[in-house]
Amino acid sequence: MSWATHIQARRCARALRRPAAVLLAGALVFGWGTGLFAAPAAKSHTVTIEGVQFSPATLEVNAGDTVVWNNKDPFPHNVTAENKAFHSPDFAGGRSWTYKAKTKGVFPYVCTLHPNMKGTLTVK
Amino acid sequence: MNKFIVTAFSALFAFAGAAFAQGGPNDAQIAGIVVTANTVDIDAGKLAEKKSNNKEVKAFAKQMVTDHTGVNKQATALVKKLKVKPEDSDTAKSLKKGGDENLKKLKGLKGKDFDKAYIDNEVTYHQAVIDALDKTLIPSAQNAELKETLVKVRPAFVAHLEHAKQIQQSMK
Repeated sequence: MSWATHIQARRCARALRRPAAVLLAGALVFGWGTGLFAAPAAKSHTVTIEGVQFSPATLEVNAGDTVVWNNKDPFPHNVTAENKAFHSPDFAGGRSWTYKAKTKGVFPYVCTLHPNMKGTLTVK
Repeated sequence: MNKFIVTAFSALFAFAGAAFAQGGPNDAQIAGIVVTANTVDIDAGKLAEKKSNNKEVKAFAKQMVTDHTGVNKQATALVKKLKVKPEDSDTAKSLKKGGDENLKKLKGLKGKDFDKAYIDNEVTYHQAVIDALDKTLIPSAQNAELKETLVKVRPAFVAHLEHAKQIQQSMK
């Protein structure tokens, strides 16, 4: 690097330093803010339906998380909360149903086509 | 009459067990038995969907048609993949015969008698199929995928049996 370019580089660095500091502070505050006030990143959970069973049968998620029920049986199932808080249509084998869990609570659910198929979704 | 059906099915599967006591059915015969067993229940379900006036029985019958059609589609797809041609066997023939006799009997009944006979037979039929799966079909299956499919299908028969038993209780 020549002397001239070195000077130029230092000037450049000096000019950049201030806004960079502001940006850095901003990023810190922003990061701190999101950590404190925003919900943790929403997760996606999977419940497998196979052999006329929900697996896992009990699942605990945070409000805002997504739950996907994957039907691996060769015939339709549905996912119906006993208090009707959520209710999927019948979905065929090889299909899935996705529910964004917004309401907090403990929700026992069944497949109304196979009333002995039971599961519980807990939304915290 | 119900006793007759129970006896018929028990005899049928006892016969099946005896017939295969030596070597057990081969995979092609197992495929044939699975398809026939499902078809028998689909046919009974279709009749009950049409003839029954009981909402619960109708819904159960509809579900039997849907579920067993699904299982048959899966079995047929697997058989194609494995390049096995479902073979007839004495068990499949007896199943078909038992199914035909049941249909004939059901066609002569009406109202609550029909519902009771249909559900009683469903309980017996599903129990018999579960026994056949456990004692003959699953242990005899040679191909791993065929065996796995039978194992995965078994809980559906158990769920249907429990459901049929619940309806049977509620009709008492």
